Amino acid sequence: MGATDLAEGTLLDRLDRYGISRRRFLTYCSGLAATLALPPRYAKVIAQALETQQKPALIWLEFQDCAGNTESFLRARNPAVADIVLDLVSVDYHETIMAAAGHQAEASKEATIAAGGHLVVVEGSIPTKDGGVYCTIAGKTARQHLEEAAEGAAAVIAVGSCSSYGGIPAASPNPTGARSAESLVSGVPVINLPGCPANADNITATLAHFLTFGALPATDGEGRPLFAYGKRIHDNCERRAHFDAGQFVEEWGDDAHRKGWCLYRMGCKGPSTFHNCGSQRWNEGTNWPIGIGHGCVGCSEPGFWDTMTPFYDRLPRAAGFGVQTTADRIGVGVAVGTAALFGAHGVGKYVQRRRAAAGEAKATVAAAEADAGQELDSELEEN
Amino acid sequence: MTTDTDQAVGPAEPEEYVTVKVWDLPVRGIHWIIFGCVFVLSVTGFYIGNPAWATRGDTGFLMGNVLAIHRATAWIFIVMVIARIAWAFRGNEWSRWHHFIPVHKKRRGLARHTVEYYLFVRHDPPPVIGHNPIAGLTYTVLYLVFIAQIFTGLALMSLEEPGSWQDSVAGWVFNFWSIPGVRFFHHIVMWLVIGFVIHHVYSAVLMDHEEKSGVMSSIFGSHKRVPPGHK
Repeated sequence: MGATDLAEGTLLDRLDRYGISRRRFLTYCSGLAATLALPPRYAKVIAQALETQQKPALIWLEFQDCAGNTESFLRARNPAVADIVLDLVSVDYHETIMAAAGHQAEASKEATIAAGGHLVVVEGSIPTKDGGVYCTIAGKTARQHLEEAAEGAAAVIAVGSCSSYGGIPAASPNPTGARSAESLVSGVPVINLPGCPANADNITATLAHFLTFGALPATDGEGRPLFAYGKRIHDNCERRAHFDAGQFVEEWGDDAHRKGWCLYRMGCKGPSTFHNCGSQRWNEGTNWPIGIGHGCVGCSEPGFWDTMTPFYDRLPRAAGFGVQTTADRIGVGVAVGTAALFGAHGVGKYVQRRRAAAGEAKATVAAAEADAGQELDSELEEN
Repeated sequence: MTTDTDQAVGPAEPEEYVTVKVWDLPVRGIHWIIFGCVFVLSVTGFYIGNPAWATRGDTGFLMGNVLAIHRATAWIFIVMVIARIAWAFRGNEWSRWHHFIPVHKKRRGLARHTVEYYLFVRHDPPPVIGHNPIAGLTYTVLYLVFIAQIFTGLALMSLEEPGSWQDSVAGWVFNFWSIPGVRFFHHIVMWLVIGFVIHHVYSAVLMDHEEKSGVMSSIFGSHKRVPPGHK
C-alpha cells in the first residue's frame, strides 16, 4: 500500500481527505454492526474503535489459490469506505496489491513479523506433500511462510475455502497434500471464513470485530464465525416459501424456473450449507447464486468439491458403484435382490420338501404321495 | 416348552400341540406401530428425497406438511424403539434381550440348527417357540439400523437449529460424514429397511407353512400352537 500522505493522521483526518462525510462513515459502521448481528448501539462502539485503534499490521499470504478472495475483498460494498477500512489495517504484505516486490517486499514482511501482534490473512491451501515443493515463494515453502508469519501473530484469518478447509486443491485425490491453515498453525487463534470466494463483507466485519473487541468473533464447530455462518442458506432463502409449498424447478429454463421457484430438485445445496450468502449477497449486494436461478453448490462447507458434487443432483453418488449410480438405483437393487433371493429360497424349500415327500412315499403307500404333492402344490400357490 | 432337553424333538402330531401365549400386548402393539411408522416415514421420506409429484400449480403447503408428518412420525418411532428396547428387560420370556443376542450356549446350538435349516441341510425347523437365534440376531441388526436412522435423522433435524438439543445428541454424526453424506445414508437405510420387510414377510410365511404354528396370526392374537418340547 505504501505510506502516502493520504494514509497519515487519524481516521477522521483521512476520511476528510478522501471526501467521506462522518455520516457516511457511521452508516458504514451500522452496516458492519448489522453484518456481525450486533444490536444497533454497537455501530457507535465500532465507529469509536475504528477511530481510535492503532493500525494493526496485516500480512496477506497467498498460497495455492486463484486470488479470488483478493478480488472479492477489493470489491467490498461501498468501495471508498472500504479503502479506509483497508487502511485501518496496515497491509504490509499482499502479493497482488503491494507496490514493493522481491527482496524489498520480503524485508517489509519480516519486519512486521519481528514486531509481532500482527494479523495474518491466509488465502489458498498449503501443500505438504513432497516437502511442500508445489508452492514456494522466495525460496521457502508455503508451510514455512505460514509458520513464520503465525509466530507471534495476534490471530490468523483464513479467507476462502482453500485456506479454511483445503478447498479445490485438497479435493480427491489431493495431489499436493493440500491442507488448511488451521491444521498447520498452533498457539494462535485461527478463524475460518470459507466461501468460494469469501464474502468481502464478512472479511471486513471480522476485521472490524477484531479491532472493536480485541478478539475474533465466536465460531461454530467448523471454526466459522457464527454471525456469518450460523444459519443455513436454506433457512434464509428468498425461495424458501416455494420449497415449503412443494413448488420446484424440474428443468433448467422451465416455467417454474422462470417463475423463480425452489431449486431443490436441481441439486441446490442450500439445505446443507451454512452461510449468510442470501442476506449479504455479492458485488455490493447486487445478487447471489440462488437469486439468479442457480442452485447453491455449498462452497463454504468443508470438502465441498468432494462432498457437494454432483452439483446438479440432490444426493451424492455412491462411491464404488460407478459415477452414475444413485442411492435409489442401489435401493431398488437391494429390494429386488432381496425379493429374488428369498423367492429362490422358497423354490428351494419347495423342492426340498417335495423330494423328502417323494422319499417317504417310496417307503409307504402311493396314496400318501398323492396327498403330500397336493398339499405342497397348494402351499406354493399361497407362497 | 416344559422339557429341558435340547435335542431335536421328533415329529409331533398336530393334536399334541400346546397353545402358548408368546407375544404379549406391548410386543404386538410396538410391532404394529413401528410398522405404521416405517410405512409413513418411507412414503414421506420418498417425497422429501425426490418431490416429483405435484410440483405444479397450487400445492398449498405440501412440502411443509410432509416434513411435519415425517417428523411427528419420527418422534413416535423413536419412542417405540426405546420402549421395545426397555421391554427387552421387562417383558416375558420371548421378548427378552437374550433371544436377540445369542449369549447362551443353547441358543448358539440352535443357531447352527437354524442355519442348516435355511441352507437346505435339514428339513426340520429349529424347535423354538419365539424367535430362532438367527431371526433374533436379524432383529438386533434391524434395531441397530433403526438407531442409525434415528441419529442421522436427528442430526439432519439439528441443521435447522445449531446448538439445539438434537445438535448435542446427534451433531457428532457430522464428524464422520459430510451433510450430503448423512442425507445419502439416511436415504439408503430406508431401502435397507424395505429389503428387511420383504425378507421378514417371506420368512414369516415360510415358517407358518413349515411349523404350522400359526406364527402369522400370532402377531395379531398373541398365541402360537407349538409341538410339546419346543422352547
